[in-house]
Amino acid sequence: MASELLQLLVDGLTIGVVYVLLAAGLSVIFGVMNVINFAHGELFALGAYFALALIAPFGGSAFFVALFVAPLLVGIIGVGIERFTVRPLYGRNPLYHILLTFGLVLVINDLIYLIWEPGSVTLPLPEMLSGSIAVLDVTASVYNLFIIVLGALMAIAVWAMFEFTKYGLIVRAGAQDRQMVRNLGIDIDRYYSLVFGMGAALAAFAGIILGGYQTVNPTMGMSVIIPAFVIVVLGGLGSFRGAVVGGLFVGLVQTALRMYAPIFEGTGIFLLMIGVLLVRPHGLFGTDAAEEHTGDLLSGPRGGFLDSQTRTRLGLAMVGLLALVPLGAGTLYSTYAVTLVIEIIIWGLFALSLDFVMGYTGLVSLGHALFYGLGAYTVALGLSHVSQSAFVVIGLAIVLSAVIAWGIGFLSIRVSGVYFAMITLGFAELFYNMLGQLDITGGSDGLFGLSTYYGLAGIGVELDEIAVFLGPVAITGQSLFYYIALSALVASFLLTRRMLNSPFGAVLKSIRENEQRATFIGYETTVYKRRAFVVSGALAGLAGGLFTLNAGYATPSLVDWLNSGEVIVMVILGGMGTLYGPIIGSGIFFGLEELLTGFTDRWRLVLGTIFVLFVILLPGGLVSLPSRLAPALPGTPGRGPNSEPEPKPESNPDPEPATDVDDAHTRGDD
Amino acid sequence: MALESSEPSEPNESNESTDPTEPSDPIETTQQRTDNPLLQTENLVKRFGQFTATDRIDLTIERGEFRSVIGPNGAGKTTLFNLITGALPVTEGAIYFDGADITTLSPSARVRRGIGRSFQISNVFGGLTVRENVRLAIQSVARDEYTAVESLFKPTDRYDELNDRTEAILDRIGLAHVAAEQANALAYGDKRRLEIGVVLATDPELVLFDEPTAGMSVEETRETIDLLEAVLVDQTLLLIEHDIELVMELSDRITVLNGGQILAEGTPAEIAANQDVQNAYLGGMTE
Repeated sequence: MASELLQLLVDGLTIGVVYVLLAAGLSVIFGVMNVINFAHGELFALGAYFALALIAPFGGSAFFVALFVAPLLVGIIGVGIERFTVRPLYGRNPLYHILLTFGLVLVINDLIYLIWEPGSVTLPLPEMLSGSIAVLDVTASVYNLFIIVLGALMAIAVWAMFEFTKYGLIVRAGAQDRQMVRNLGIDIDRYYSLVFGMGAALAAFAGIILGGYQTVNPTMGMSVIIPAFVIVVLGGLGSFRGAVVGGLFVGLVQTALRMYAPIFEGTGIFLLMIGVLLVRPHGLFGTDAAEEHTGDLLSGPRGGFLDSQTRTRLGLAMVGLLALVPLGAGTLYSTYAVTLVIEIIIWGLFALSLDFVMGYTGLVSLGHALFYGLGAYTVALGLSHVSQSAFVVIGLAIVLSAVIAWGIGFLSIRVSGVYFAMITLGFAELFYNMLGQLDITGGSDGLFGLSTYYGLAGIGVELDEIAVFLGPVAITGQSLFYYIALSALVASFLLTRRMLNSPFGAVLKSIRENEQRATFIGYETTVYKRRAFVVSGALAGLAGGLFTLNAGYATPSLVDWLNSGEVIVMVILGGMGTLYGPIIGSGIFFGLEELLTGFTDRWRLVLGTIFVLFVILLPGGLVSLPSRLAPALPGTPGRGPNSEPEPKPESNPDPEPATDVDDAHTRGDD
Repeated sequence: MALESSEPSEPNESNESTDPTEPSDPIETTQQRTDNPLLQTENLVKRFGQFTATDRIDLTIERGEFRSVIGPNGAGKTTLFNLITGALPVTEGAIYFDGADITTLSPSARVRRGIGRSFQISNVFGGLTVRENVRLAIQSVARDEYTAVESLFKPTDRYDELNDRTEAILDRIGLAHVAAEQANALAYGDKRRLEIGVVLATDPELVLFDEPTAGMSVEETRETIDLLEAVLVDQTLLLIEHDIELVMELSDRITVLNGGQILAEGTPAEIAANQDVQNAYLGGMTE
């Protein structure tokens, strides 16, 4: 028993130390620069691959050299990333950093696929680390002990550097008040680059030692980034101590769960994180002050470039055009076109649902795929257990998604900003892992082979059976589903637009503009945000339900966090806070994918690059392009000077507004 | 609605008569204590860790009073405001508004009870139009008059009564001609008018102003104060202000805070003559 516990301790600490190194960089980068770096996992993977490349020509003994050189190289890349992509965004809402670094994830991950082989590779280790030591029935490999000791030394070194060096002092001072540090004549931006580079180097270091312990593969970054975030959030964003405690704790808990309660292996840490955040909304060691609201979310053009009549006409023309698509299938183009547009419509609806909360209340849900998957699984389970009527199961999907959205909203909307993004991500990952483990949801295979009919009480039609030919035009089941999906999208758009013009919508807009003011004219803003979240969840559930009705299956991969990320990409690409922008974003996303896959498998690389450029240069999305190209036309209504801020850093020399209204909440006194 | 109310808000003359609707002779000099103050704090304490920002404050604001809170930096003025408006939870003590205990109410619930808070000028809904800014405040007060379905689906421009009230406020603050403009596009002074109009639209009995003239020129300060006096004539006002001259001129009574405690309280003349205040605060200002 004792030896078993010791074994657990060794294994747990090995993983724990890797987590500590990873989380420490993430947490320090956040603490100092307010940047949530999703690309951290990819830098971690990059470290392992660089080491692989460095070791390959020389054999295992080059490991020690690689352990030094690879982090250095990744550190330099980190400095470059900070300098050229992150820096232009200082002063904007920290959520833009999430979006930016998500784009970088796509880019770096595809670069890894492009340069190295896709499979798993073993990192050659030197002779002296490959043995094992047996003490009291416990066999610990030398390498495990090496990781634990080296990792602990690294962590101590980083801590000491922040605590005792002049460099550390300046960085800590900058985290408190960067303008003050600038006033002292210190070029704080240079230090930011170094902090980012150092965080990247730490991640690379962690990647190499984990690569030696397990294997090196292109998905290693994706698989550690979410636990690393859990640790950072658990410990408190920006807290080095929190990262260390959280990292070791999660390493041990994960190892223990794997040994004693494998059913909770995937879900355990997310339950832990959600539990901690509910009790301590800023993590174990976090403080209120760690969360700053700097800058607004930039939504698409308000008031609009075109007058409302033109826009209505344009909208009608678009819908009319879309309605024609199935008619030409099989003659003018292949039926695949219809499949593609169905996908665009369903994801357009999904993106629209996210825009309703993100674009109008500023709540960035990083786990929106949860509702998409929930809708999909409700339909799948409903078809097998409740009714085969498409209308009944879709109704169920909407209602259930709304109910769950209310519950999640109730638990998470009291935490704001970045913590909200993280807690929704936590819920989605929890659901994802549950789906893979429960029998009723078909485990990791999901549910498939579903059949349905369109009607009620047993009377209706199955779409597969339909094929009507009118000359060259074939009306098939697929084209009928196309119209159902299109109607759902148009109806949802009209419904949400109507809501936004109501008093309810006016309050949502006021929350986006200035939540504190909304509170002080008498609105219970959390209640309004929760209602918006319910509407959003219901619509996302509808989108997911439509997917399963059409595809006939539901798998856990629908809830993958990449899907949550991609739907955010669509919203930003098109233009947040416009409702129609995200639909256009969906079209561009799938259009690009379609176009690019014709040339390369690595289309995410191109897409990620485009997305990064968008976040930096055109945060208002594609729909803000016309009004940017034609500035200040006379008679263009509603173009305020602040609705289209320049993304250039020079225009925003002070990222922390001195008279931030939130001071009243966080500091409490004059 | 305050603007429809013809009731004089002057404080009552005697302790016996506490019915605010009964006409009474306004007094120009020192306010008398009444049994029915608008706002009262009892033994109010706020601690941040080891630091006591508000230390056993007993504050009583009479109806119709213009009260100013002054004190050196760090005296706890803003904390006191945050406690009264609900932006911060109290550590100890109680707050009564209009006779009811509001200590644990949320900020928005306090607004609905009649406590309005004005912020510094930029604190409006910048991306919305001037009309929308005011209408949001009107709508907040009137929300119980409409069904849930109406408030979810009926377009705002079809609420005739709300829109009438909105236009009335816009007229009153003199911004009717720019009602369709985005708030961000307003000139400096107009933005302040809007800010005050938004507060007014929530129909407050008590309005708290935190340094409404901070960073303004003498001229701008004067304009702002004139506007306050013109538009908020029926309201009870609580003001934090650094400009001592202004405070002396405007206030009915002044409360001086120092180190989280009330150092002195009285009419401007009493405060000016108070030796403690001279030592702790005023002396330091006339360097």
